[in-house]
Amino acid sequence: MARVKFLWMLFVFVAVSVVLKAQIQPIPNLKIQPVPIAGGDLVPGYGIANLFVPGPPGQVPPYDPLGAEPNGLTNFKGQVVMGYTSGPATDNKGKQYVVITDIRVYKGTYRGGKAADSVNTAGATVSDTDSGIFVEI
Amino acid sequence: MWDFSLKPPAQVHDFSPWTLPNGLFWIVKVPDSAVQFHDDGSVTLHLVDVPVVDAYTFPPPAQTVPGISPIQLNPAKLSLDITYEKGGNPHRVRPTSHDPLSPFNWAGMMWDSTNSGTFSLSYDDGSFSASGSFASNGNFGEIGFERNGVFLRDGDFDQSTDQSASSSTGSSLTNHAVVTSPSSAGERTVLLKGRVPVKVVR
Repeated sequence: MARVKFLWMLFVFVAVSVVLKAQIQPIPNLKIQPVPIAGGDLVPGYGIANLFVPGPPGQVPPYDPLGAEPNGLTNFKGQVVMGYTSGPATDNKGKQYVVITDIRVYKGTYRGGKAADSVNTAGATVSDTDSGIFVEI
Repeated sequence: MWDFSLKPPAQVHDFSPWTLPNGLFWIVKVPDSAVQFHDDGSVTLHLVDVPVVDAYTFPPPAQTVPGISPIQLNPAKLSLDITYEKGGNPHRVRPTSHDPLSPFNWAGMMWDSTNSGTFSLSYDDGSFSASGSFASNGNFGEIGFERNGVFLRDGDFDQSTDQSASSSTGSSLTNHAVVTSPSSAGERTVLLKGRVPVKVVR
């Protein structure tokens, strides 16, 4: 009985581990590739980062104006969540930091590109629609 | 992550999924089970072992040949839990520009949002790890519905000639006129993504 219980627990552990490992779906492997917004913020030393930084009214600059696009994906329809935060952090040597975040969630339908004919072309794209949840970290 | 023991305080770690070759900026795709949208408008996010890199700062340290030389990136895994809350009055956003590079080429209905959460991360080689918590602390956030790109309709576009954001509260479609005061002089801030000040509570 103890052996059966151990094997069951081992199965559950392995199953959960597989789920966790499979949590992130690499975007390059998606059949329909999402497309970034064309614009974004021009960052000195980096170029155009295809993302805006919406901010509260009356604080432009340094933020982009209220009403600036919060999404990093174009051809998108759905829910958007975002917010800037700060807080305390500690590393493995006890050193303390301040962590700041800008983590956004996009859930909805997107129109991206897929290979029209991956056999007889070099991969020329055609538009197609899919849905999913994306997170900007 | 910022080190406030330095004078002046400086960013020493910057974790993100990095930019994809097509320009997608710091974005990963997650399964539906990672995000829960609740009836009260709140949203919870639970991520485990997301592959990220530490670029140390953003923008990353200057390259020998800008845009050509390698950028030093240290692979890591990030786990986090966040709860977003919806609040305030909705404001409608109408596109005011047909320029595809403009920040005002989208339509939606947005509410104010706050969020808080916890995180832990570790370099893949185990040489560095950290954990902590975070909260809005008065910083900007929003939550809502939007459409852009091919999902925009001709009727979405604002008829006014004002090229600034056309945003209004409630059902009114008048331009947003709310102006808040900038951060008080004594408030401590750090620069998110190299340029955006985020209020810090230590």
